[in-house]
Amino acid sequence: MTQTISRRDFLKLGAAAGAALAAGSFIPPQVAQAARDAKLINADGDGYIPSMCEMCVWRCGLLAKVKDGRVVKLDGNPEHPHSKGNLCPRGQSGLMNTYDPDRVLTPLIRVGKRGEGKFRKASWEEALDLTASKMLEVKEKYGPEGMIFSSTHNLSQVQFENLLYGFGSPNYGTQRSLCFNAMITAFLLTYGVEEPARKYDDVEFILLVGRNLMEAISTSETSELSHAIDRGAKLVYLDPRYTKTASKAAEWIPIRPGTDSAFLLAMIHVIVMNELADCDFVKQYVIGCDGIQDAMRRYTPEWAEAITGVPAATIERIAREYAAAKHNALAHPGWRTSNFVNSFQTERAIATLNALSGNVFTEGGCLSTDVTEEGSGLAKPPQPPYPRISALRLDGTPWKYPLVPLKLGVFQELRDAIITGQPYQAHGWFIARQNPILALPDRNKTLLAFGKMDFIATVDIIMNDTAWFSDVVLPEASYLERYDPLLPLDGRAYIRQPVIEPQGEARSALWIYKQLGERLGLGDYFQYEDEEDYIRQQLKPLGISLEEVKEKGYAEMPEEEKKNGFTFNTPSGKIEVYSETLKNAGFPAWPTWEEPPIPGENEFYLLTGKVAQHTQFGTQNNQLLHKYSDEPRLWMNAKTAVSLGFTDGDWVEITSKVGKVHSKLLATEAIRPDCVYLTPGFGHLSKGLTTAFGIGASDSVLHETYTDPISGGQALSQTFVKVKKA
Amino acid sequence: MTDIKHHAYLFDAVRCIGCRACMVACSVENNIEMDKTRIWVAGRGVMGEYPILERASMVYHCMHCNEPDCLSACPVGAYSKRSDGPVEYDPKKCIGCRYCMNACPFGVPHFDYDKGLIEGAFIDKCTFCPQRIDNGQEPACVATCPTDALEYGERDELLKIAHERIAAHPDRYIDHVYGEFENGGTSYLILSHVPFSELGLPALPEEPVNEISEKVMEMTIPFALGWGVVLTAVAAGVHLYNKKTETKAKPTETHEEEPEVNK
Repeated sequence: MTQTISRRDFLKLGAAAGAALAAGSFIPPQVAQAARDAKLINADGDGYIPSMCEMCVWRCGLLAKVKDGRVVKLDGNPEHPHSKGNLCPRGQSGLMNTYDPDRVLTPLIRVGKRGEGKFRKASWEEALDLTASKMLEVKEKYGPEGMIFSSTHNLSQVQFENLLYGFGSPNYGTQRSLCFNAMITAFLLTYGVEEPARKYDDVEFILLVGRNLMEAISTSETSELSHAIDRGAKLVYLDPRYTKTASKAAEWIPIRPGTDSAFLLAMIHVIVMNELADCDFVKQYVIGCDGIQDAMRRYTPEWAEAITGVPAATIERIAREYAAAKHNALAHPGWRTSNFVNSFQTERAIATLNALSGNVFTEGGCLSTDVTEEGSGLAKPPQPPYPRISALRLDGTPWKYPLVPLKLGVFQELRDAIITGQPYQAHGWFIARQNPILALPDRNKTLLAFGKMDFIATVDIIMNDTAWFSDVVLPEASYLERYDPLLPLDGRAYIRQPVIEPQGEARSALWIYKQLGERLGLGDYFQYEDEEDYIRQQLKPLGISLEEVKEKGYAEMPEEEKKNGFTFNTPSGKIEVYSETLKNAGFPAWPTWEEPPIPGENEFYLLTGKVAQHTQFGTQNNQLLHKYSDEPRLWMNAKTAVSLGFTDGDWVEITSKVGKVHSKLLATEAIRPDCVYLTPGFGHLSKGLTTAFGIGASDSVLHETYTDPISGGQALSQTFVKVKKA
Repeated sequence: MTDIKHHAYLFDAVRCIGCRACMVACSVENNIEMDKTRIWVAGRGVMGEYPILERASMVYHCMHCNEPDCLSACPVGAYSKRSDGPVEYDPKKCIGCRYCMNACPFGVPHFDYDKGLIEGAFIDKCTFCPQRIDNGQEPACVATCPTDALEYGERDELLKIAHERIAAHPDRYIDHVYGEFENGGTSYLILSHVPFSELGLPALPEEPVNEISEKVMEMTIPFALGWGVVLTAVAAGVHLYNKKTETKAKPTETHEEEPEVNK
């Protein structure tokens, strides 16, 4: 259905009601003035302002409806490729993140014991001075590597990294190893690209390996998948749970956890042994065509049946259907692929299946490696080179994990190194927009690591669990209250701009990092007057004014020159199904089966996976999402529950090797009998989250720490639990 | 600002992923209190036995019937039907009798205890977002739907789209557009892959329930008048009969009494 409102229309809407009434004093000055100048709001302060969502990392374009200086509604921006006019439930509820009654609106300094939740209000001056002096103290005593910096992916991260590398610490904690290390590392090694783009226009056959796109919503991609199914594309979906994606699939395969790669290797076996791929064609672009038959010979569908529990005939048929769709077949790379220590091999097999279909090197194929460099075409403020960093990274990259890209890192290993003090002891932790206490596996260990710190400072908009255990909390402006650097995407640079004034004393990350940077003697890395100046400097090469971008929501960028032919950024310039790099590092050169551990007697696989209403650990306190999401529960197969004497709604105790939690039980047919699933993101420790506190249980308490030696990914489904009545 | 003659929704249960973006959008757009909603998820959810499973769920709100039962049940005219589709509710006229709640076959109007006593707005239900559709925008629930499970437009066109979709994928859809004729036709049209009863929808005759009731109601006065005549006649007859018997019986009574007195 076409959108009935275009950007022009909403501009008209704002202008139409443009009665020249005097602006009331309740209309905040700067944002309102800028929006009025851009004709986005009228004299009454009513209108629509384009910006970008930050309820997850997909970054949909939005139109914020403002009235009297308050944001009253968010709509998807039809002009933005990630929303195309739609927003998911999280995007729709975004204004309750901004108006959360639990917002931290002044800097806070801890006065009680750590974790006691006793803070006093402080001025920015005092909080920033204290943070800077503590960081410099660590640097003086233990060297810059004594400070850890961690942050989850966001648009201001480039300036966060200036803080980290300018300071001179190698210790960078990102969420990535808890999320997509396996996928990114496998695709970098095979294709030379982090994450190839999926194209659904002509797709005929889609294989989703646990990618629950109908609940882990990426608005435009979820929409594209849905339309592809509508059109008649066949979706085959592998997942031990009957998710909403499973319910939309032509075939749901409730595969045994940890055995996806056996299924995929058998598919490759069927394709190469029966020569279903056009090998002469494939050979031009793929390294490994010659030896692939020998390498895959042992992975017969019968072999895979014994491991996966999926009938050999089914695997054979799916492989043939996949091959028949040729370059219109898509084996989706997935996203959070931190499941088992063999997840890297699963991703390698997925990468191989795509190579065999030719979808990456055929015009109109449904996978693309043409990913534009982030920020190309845009400038950024000048800055000196970073100081040389000689200290080892605590997370073992690359000295222990040679193939893990530096920007990904191994967060769980960093946490463990804090506890052991090996190879050296860390003393301070600067955290922005991240909640490692809930995100990292084995929460008790994470709390232990926090206890080892002399100083912890956290930047966040609410009192998340990590802020609760910090010494200084620096209140960030919410995404509706601040600027971030521009986002280049499909030939345009999109803006996130304030649609209302920051509440209280909340400030943008760009401002906070600059203030802190200057106090740390790193002012040269923050050469911008303010947020607007930062974006003006970005826009300089385009010759487009900030005012124009604020009005339109984006800047057009010059067209990129199209590459001729298909080349891949790998050592050979081809797709490396056979990888010398892997071989030289002592790992299997071919996609390979690695046997994962299996649960013992009376144990279940503990599964995780998203619900449509929440993003990780950051949205449970949003009152709108709280209202419209289901109570978090432990899913168990209904018949298994009966056999164990449980009834739906019972309170149960869930125990792993490292922890124990209580949860209400959901007895459902929608899960394999040997698995349980716990709704993630709940079980908050912070009493500063008045909506979320006391609800659900945290799977981080249960998760054991297992790291894939190749990609550094945490194996989140490799924890096995026992369940008994509470 | 809109040239739509009959505003309508088309909901496709095959497309719906149950994400509830529509519910959040409605709540925000219409500033609904945190403990209330105008839009629900219905249906049986996951059905079958592992691993042969099916899911059936739908979102629904006011069906904006062509012949609204709420309207015909309302004794004070608080409901009205816009000529272009939406069923409107006027809290100023409402007396809180809740006849509409009993009348609606879809259980849509619901009672608002908080507002009722203070503001007089006793009933709450979907308004069709007039503030949006009259400005050329889609209703909030439709605009945000990531899979276009909810669509909005001219009723005739949506019906055409619905039938075309069924024809294109007869294996995927039940060959019926719920709301095309049910209850005299509704402005919320529904496509499904499972029997509509699995979505929680009532089986309704094509002739609207209220049409039957209204026909009956139209007979009230003649019926009452007629009944009045009959009753008057009966009463008169009874009276005459009684009078007759009274006259006949009197002597007996006297006769029986007399001996007593004589004793």
